[in-house]
Amino acid sequence: MRRALTAALVFAAAFVALAFLFVPVLAIFVHVTPGRLVAQLSNPLVGDAVVVSLETTVVAQVLILALGTPAAYLLASRRFRGRALLVTLVELPLVLPPAVAGIGLIAAFGRYGLLGSPLRAAGLTIGFTQAAVVLAVALVSSPLYVRQAIATFEAVDENMVAASRTLGAGPAKTFFRVVLPLARGGLAAGEALAFARGLGEFGATIMFAGSLQGVTQTLPLAIYAEFDQTNGFDVALAMSALLVLVSAALLVSLKVTPRWQSSRPTSRFLFARSLSS
Amino acid sequence: MRRALLAALCAAALAVPAALAATRAQDRTPLTVYAAASLTDVLPKIDPAERYSFGGSNALATQIVQGAPADIFAAANTSIPGQLYRQGIVEKPVVFTRNALVLIVPRSNPAQVRSVYDLRRPGVKLDVAAAGVPVGDYTRLVLHKLGLDDVLANVVSNETDVREVLAKVALGEADAGFVYATDARTVRGKVATVAIPSSAQPTVRYAAAVVRATAHRAAARRFVARLLARAAQRRLRAAGFLPRH
Repeated sequence: MRRALTAALVFAAAFVALAFLFVPVLAIFVHVTPGRLVAQLSNPLVGDAVVVSLETTVVAQVLILALGTPAAYLLASRRFRGRALLVTLVELPLVLPPAVAGIGLIAAFGRYGLLGSPLRAAGLTIGFTQAAVVLAVALVSSPLYVRQAIATFEAVDENMVAASRTLGAGPAKTFFRVVLPLARGGLAAGEALAFARGLGEFGATIMFAGSLQGVTQTLPLAIYAEFDQTNGFDVALAMSALLVLVSAALLVSLKVTPRWQSSRPTSRFLFARSLSS
Repeated sequence: MRRALLAALCAAALAVPAALAATRAQDRTPLTVYAAASLTDVLPKIDPAERYSFGGSNALATQIVQGAPADIFAAANTSIPGQLYRQGIVEKPVVFTRNALVLIVPRSNPAQVRSVYDLRRPGVKLDVAAAGVPVGDYTRLVLHKLGLDDVLANVVSNETDVREVLAKVALGEADAGFVYATDARTVRGKVATVAIPSSAQPTVRYAAAVVRATAHRAAARRFVARLLARAAQRRLRAAGFLPRH
């Protein structure tokens, strides 16, 4: 009897939790008819926002991959004083409120910010440009990638690296031919998460880059701009639905990633004792 | 030792809200006032006992339509509360003050903007509120009256309320922005004001109304009436607002 009651309570709690998570997402798709939802997508505002979002997110992700990968490899492969502190600093933007990131970006890269005058001397103003959106997206999404990349590089079997070196490959060749292929799956997973987070960036962007259709107005900013406009709610719903679908696709790709990643050993024996565990 | 510290922390965490709640319970329930962002500094001076939610009048109206627990709505134009009145959501709005529009530039004036006509210069970073936000609509009206519609090509951002425009110009991120005269006064050291030709000056009227769904109708009506009384009008004048007629 007691046991049945406990089981019932557990099921009830699970049901409430799952329903709570599912209902708002579902509601986006059923608030208006699917036909009306799709029709909203022809609004030029939506197209502009999609283009701005894609452009800025892709540039930010390229920067994250190009700069974040070496940084992560360094932090994963070297042991030095202050390493723990550095890793914590890398992870800090992850837990910072986006509004704090926005203030930080203005204080650093704004016209009268810390780097304002050298930037001005170089003829660069960042505020209100797509570069500002890229910086905001990179700041809030890079920790997701770098953090995952550090863990992935740490899990790469040192024996493989040592074997490559003893067989005569230099550090660069070893990195590109051995480490990177082995880490591919983990890096892709981190990148997918960073991409999804970057696509959703809102707070830092609206503070540092402003909101201008076709220039700095990303999908989340367009949703915010539309929801309180006359007849804007349906357009906001349509853009939300779009973002739900893209995020879901990224998440699914994340789930299937381990299946095609090549970090499987050719020889089971060599990988029997993973150094990561 | 650790446990004692933890206990002390827990006790403090419980005691602080309890103490706050106790001080509040002595007074009557505060009214919830949804008010235009340009009223941010002055309304709490007129009546510090109420709770305020400041923002763009259009965003506040959307929230009220969707059932936000507002007792009073005070907007920076008459058309938005008028619309809610026709929909039966608020009682009849009353005009309680007026304002003027100004162009502001950062003190250092990086783009050398000395008149509204300088806004035509390519590359001037002009910050405005979005269309639909009262100050955004007034801004477009002024530019249209001056024959400066093409200035909108220099807009770098469409903000959701006047205080965001104010912040971005005061920080020096934007070269110029349109705000109310009263907003410019709150950051006097950081911005300079450029007058708008009086022929193009729009009529900026603020209207307040009691939200019909309020649970405190009598108190809410008293609040609106108080806005018209001499004490409140004096406060509004002191903050730079114009007489309501």
